Amino acid sequence: MKLRQYTPGLRDYLVAVGCTAAATLIFLPLRQDFAKGQWALLYLLIVVFIAGLGGVRPALLSATLSFLVWNFFFIPPYGTFRVEDPKDWLSLLVFLAVGVAMGVQTGRMRERRARAVARERETAMLNRFSSQLVSDPSIPEVARLLADAAREITGASAVALLIPDDSGAVKAVFAWPEETLAFDAETLALAAWARGQSKAIGLPSPPEGTQGQPRDWPISITHREAGATGNRRDLFIPLQTPSRQSGVLYVGPVEKGAGHVAHRVALLLALVNQASVFLERKHLQAAALQTEALKEADHLKSTFMSAVSHELKTPLASIMATVSNLLEGDVAWDREEARRELRAVQSDLDRLDESITELLDVSRLEAQAWQPTLDWCEVGDILSVAISRLPPDQRGRVSHMLPPDLPAIKVDFHEWVRVLAHLLRNALNYGGAGSRVGVGARAIPNDVEVWVEDDGPGIAPDERERVFEKFYRGRTATGSSGTGLGLAIAREIARVHGGRIWVEDVIPHGARFMISLPRAPASEVAKP
Amino acid sequence: MSAPERPPKILVVDDDPQIRRALTSILATRKYQVIAAADGAEGLNLAIEHNPDLIVLDVAMPGMSGLEVCRELRTWYRAPILVLSVRGADRDKIAALDEGADDYVTKPFSAGELLARVRALLRRASGQAAAAPVIVIGDMEISIAQRRVRRGDQEIELTRTEFDILAYLAQNADTVVTSKMILGKVWGLEYRDDTQTLRVHVSHLRKKIEPHPSVPRYILTEPGVGFRLASS
Repeated sequence: MKLRQYTPGLRDYLVAVGCTAAATLIFLPLRQDFAKGQWALLYLLIVVFIAGLGGVRPALLSATLSFLVWNFFFIPPYGTFRVEDPKDWLSLLVFLAVGVAMGVQTGRMRERRARAVARERETAMLNRFSSQLVSDPSIPEVARLLADAAREITGASAVALLIPDDSGAVKAVFAWPEETLAFDAETLALAAWARGQSKAIGLPSPPEGTQGQPRDWPISITHREAGATGNRRDLFIPLQTPSRQSGVLYVGPVEKGAGHVAHRVALLLALVNQASVFLERKHLQAAALQTEALKEADHLKSTFMSAVSHELKTPLASIMATVSNLLEGDVAWDREEARRELRAVQSDLDRLDESITELLDVSRLEAQAWQPTLDWCEVGDILSVAISRLPPDQRGRVSHMLPPDLPAIKVDFHEWVRVLAHLLRNALNYGGAGSRVGVGARAIPNDVEVWVEDDGPGIAPDERERVFEKFYRGRTATGSSGTGLGLAIAREIARVHGGRIWVEDVIPHGARFMISLPRAPASEVAKP
Repeated sequence: MSAPERPPKILVVDDDPQIRRALTSILATRKYQVIAAADGAEGLNLAIEHNPDLIVLDVAMPGMSGLEVCRELRTWYRAPILVLSVRGADRDKIAALDEGADDYVTKPFSAGELLARVRALLRRASGQAAAAPVIVIGDMEISIAQRRVRRGDQEIELTRTEFDILAYLAQNADTVVTSKMILGKVWGLEYRDDTQTLRVHVSHLRKKIEPHPSVPRYILTEPGVGFRLASS
């Protein structure tokens, strides 16, 4: 679809001359068969035809030519412009007047219709563009839509949309043809200038009939004023709203080196304005999303703080109460009682230590600066150390069944002791008082699987993934101990080892935490 | 009102096993009879079953919070409730007092602090303080009936309002008294929100009774809540 408004070209004038000449050639052999006045009507027919085809000016040319040709060939004496009969002069002049009048009239109608069609197409194009924006395209898609439209309107040899990246330097997000993407330094400098100054470069003057500086016609300067050295014919149009400069539309020179035509540029500006508003909206959306993300981070931080304060303060409060109790002078403590009090302090100190380690682990894991120390280990060794970390009265509740031929695994021994100890403590706590905890392991072709299971109430399906989230504490949690970080850390440790950890159901009831580790560890451990 | 031969019975409600253990140990060693509950619901049941002389209640518990337990208890329970709150959680403290708690101890607390509060609350609940014609606070002697305050053989001149405030604080010595309670008692219920006036009067009172009014020793401010008269 061409969106150029109709203006007669050389072709139209040639057609005008050609038609008049051809008609004359046809009419000439018949010169004797008709009265000389009747030819006028036939030539008028030609003039009207030309007007309808090419507009006013070709019609005028045709009328003038017809006037001359009629005189020359059909008014005696033939072959001269002289006129014998003065009445023929009258006919000639009347013909000229009528020809011109009809040519002008018909030509105008043709031009008006052409303008109406063009306007209709422009409106359709604007509508299409805005309805494409309604579907919320991505920024590169908008760039493509705008560039396509710009190409269609102007017929430019190249188009591109340049948008500043994070460093602030403008970069093409879409370009046609693709090789345009590699802009030379001057073009990029001009684009940056147009964006920085909020001024267009190389824009023609506003179309005729508009008074002064139209509202949506940006202030434009020449390429030279913007610092260009060569003779350029391209356009730089800033995409801007009152609050923001989003980018620059680059429109290359039109074919055959002709300049950009004002009324096409006017349509282009309308599209640019729509695109600017859209990009502004995109920007605000992104800002809103970022705010949302910050809020989320803030929430996580406050969850973290409350977990920290609870997990650190509770054992501290307990220690303080117990120690001050021992120090109060009003009671004579016997040795056994005092030992009992001190044992409580020790268990609180263990708890504090565990919480602090977990909190430090989280920050370490979050900084992603942690690499495990790998060594060949027996699962049984890891398990026995993990069990020794449990309170003595709880150890008896753990039973284990490890196959004797279980292959060694190459892992970080201390980290896996902590993971297993955490899983065991969890199983003992959440399984409920008196529940049994079982540990098992097996080798499958590529992996070694280790599991810890309890016969407690189990974990609801919707919680099986959430328990691995930071600070998530299961609904069935009875005690208030734990930072809610242990499983998140366990998952991270598994991941760093190239393994996995997940929860399964135990029939008839209970939860089973499965760990799967690669049997022959990747020579390279998964990077965090 | 417990009979003299029976030790006061105290119910401890805290979800944290270690804190529960410490509280039980502190109280039991002082010959209080201690019952412990691990959550709000259990606490309510034990309160109904044993009708304790005092309840020590943790405000922040998962499930039924201490505030809810307090509200529930106050529908029928008259004896003192001492809540445990975390430092900085002023809102929790105030909410607990609004729900009918009598005093609070901030975690971490020392055994001595907890015992002092427990004793003060039990004393007040026994009605001894309110009925006493003369209350001794440190080196001050407050004669409630004669409306006189003496330090040694020196008479301290107080206005009527100042005396009323001091007497009310003394009758509730060692326990927190909210500004609203003082205002309601001294000025009347319609003045319960006029904390500015109260602050002015307390400031005058401090100038008259405190050895160092800017660093009060007797009338201690409980930020955001009210005042506490320290007896020792």
